[in-house]
Amino acid sequence: MKYALKRIVTLLLTMLLVSFLTFAAFELISGDPAQTILGTEATPERLAALRHELGLDLPFLTRYINWLAGFFSGNLGISFRYHIPVWELIAPKLEVTLCMCLVSFVIIAAVSVPLAIWSYRFVGGPLDFIRTAFNQLCMAVPTFFVGILMSWVFGIVLRLFVPGDFPDLHTDFAAALGHLFFAAVCLSIPRIAMTVRMMRSTVIGEMQKAYVRTAISRGNDRHAVLTRHVLKNSLVSAITFLGQTMAELVGGSVAVEQVFSVPGLGRLLVASISTRDYPVVEALVVILAFWVVLAGTVADLMNQWIDPRLRLGGKA
Amino acid sequence: MNKKRINGYLLAGMIITGLMLLMMLIGAFHTPFDPNAMDPTSKFQGPSLTHLFGTDNFGRDIFSRMLKGGGTTLAIALATVTVGAVFGTLIGALTGYFGGIVDEVLMRLNDALTAFPSILLALLVISLVGSGKYNVVLALGLVFIPSFARVTRTAFAGLRDVNYITSARLMGASDLRIMAVHMLPNTVRVLLPAITIGFNNAVLAEASMSFLGIGVTPPDASLGYMLSEAQSMLSRAPWYALTTGCVIALLVFGAGLIGEGLQKMDREVAA
Repeated sequence: MKYALKRIVTLLLTMLLVSFLTFAAFELISGDPAQTILGTEATPERLAALRHELGLDLPFLTRYINWLAGFFSGNLGISFRYHIPVWELIAPKLEVTLCMCLVSFVIIAAVSVPLAIWSYRFVGGPLDFIRTAFNQLCMAVPTFFVGILMSWVFGIVLRLFVPGDFPDLHTDFAAALGHLFFAAVCLSIPRIAMTVRMMRSTVIGEMQKAYVRTAISRGNDRHAVLTRHVLKNSLVSAITFLGQTMAELVGGSVAVEQVFSVPGLGRLLVASISTRDYPVVEALVVILAFWVVLAGTVADLMNQWIDPRLRLGGKA
Repeated sequence: MNKKRINGYLLAGMIITGLMLLMMLIGAFHTPFDPNAMDPTSKFQGPSLTHLFGTDNFGRDIFSRMLKGGGTTLAIALATVTVGAVFGTLIGALTGYFGGIVDEVLMRLNDALTAFPSILLALLVISLVGSGKYNVVLALGLVFIPSFARVTRTAFAGLRDVNYITSARLMGASDLRIMAVHMLPNTVRVLLPAITIGFNNAVLAEASMSFLGIGVTPPDASLGYMLSEAQSMLSRAPWYALTTGCVIALLVFGAGLIGEGLQKMDREVAA
């Protein structure tokens, strides 16, 4: 409990720091928003009026606090480009990206753990080289290239979904989920390869420990030891890794959303960067940062809960 | 280690990477066609002997474009890794060797930064400085500094109180000399795999950024940029996407195998 509290305080402090740095960075670089909104032909009076309206004439810290307060009350400012509140722009995309990442996460967790156990059989064998090479290959192929191949095979040749036409998440949930599934598979492949690689080396390490030797010498079947004892002990590192995966997925989703034309946060981010729509970029950065930090914290807390050794302050 | 066993990963990786490097190097001086020359009479031609990888919607030779674009991607990746490795090693060495409060603060900052997907950080930098190839190098280089700093810091901190370092210090060697002459060569074995991994991430990151249209800007073309072009003509010229994508994959695959081989070699030496 004490630990959980400490983690949550750290989480809040990190977020405060991240939001401050983001705000400061954009403050330094983005120039005068009033000028951006009104264009170059604006009169000085109108500029001054708008600056006052937007609160730009206030001191830096006051503006930061206002912005942060706005963030929690859902008022993230107005998009330079679309002239609508940023939150209205972000909310529907957040749903889509969240859906895609969750589907992808489930795929990764469901596929990589059994695969890691299965691949343990090849350790030291002649097939090990092929397995490692395949693993490296899965990590080497860029996700967006897999995406292009998939949309070509499943979209253009097999016509299982229409590339470039994403069904609405609310009116046609099943079709949207189907579309997201292909994107999610594409997003998962390199992460599965990484998770398998990581888990495999953990399992190899665990299998050399004394308790495994004892269990086997007491007549247990190797496979049973693997699934019953070793797997449990490998979970801690796996969960930490999956926490990172949840964070990495947002990064990966940027390119995948572009390929499958999924209207998610990543595409909005890229579009907003190209059009220099700073309020949107700023808000997205903070939201994504929160996502990343939250995933890490949740993974940490889960490990505490699962592994008593960590709870008692020892080292796993 | 009296009998040397052939390290399959290292060998295969070096062959693949060597071939790719050779091709890009030749491409820097000579390409079969002008990569930007348009030829309306030969649009959308499939792979043939004249056009190895076929042609695109303007009748441009894809193989020539690939050689030039691959060169750009490679140059950006190498520059990025150099920036990341040099500054990262410097920071890691200083903090690891001297320790203290600066070390603490920098490492906490480092922890926070490495938790972030590198592509997001790079996008953030790009959104602040704008796109273009030098900005891509700047963005990715900055993003890669923390990972190199961490690796070097751990290695330097571990060596700080080792006997031979203490001896060197007793003999009056300066801190700088100890770091450069005695410690740095001993960190090569952790630095090399970090460099190959960094190279891979750099190639992939550059490709994704250019693919998204916020990396290199025309007239520069990189592999990622070509792939985004290729996607728009996927049904007319599927070979364009296939060949370009495979080249990226091979580049990363080769370096990945080298990294794997280096780690294996390290384990064998340690064992």
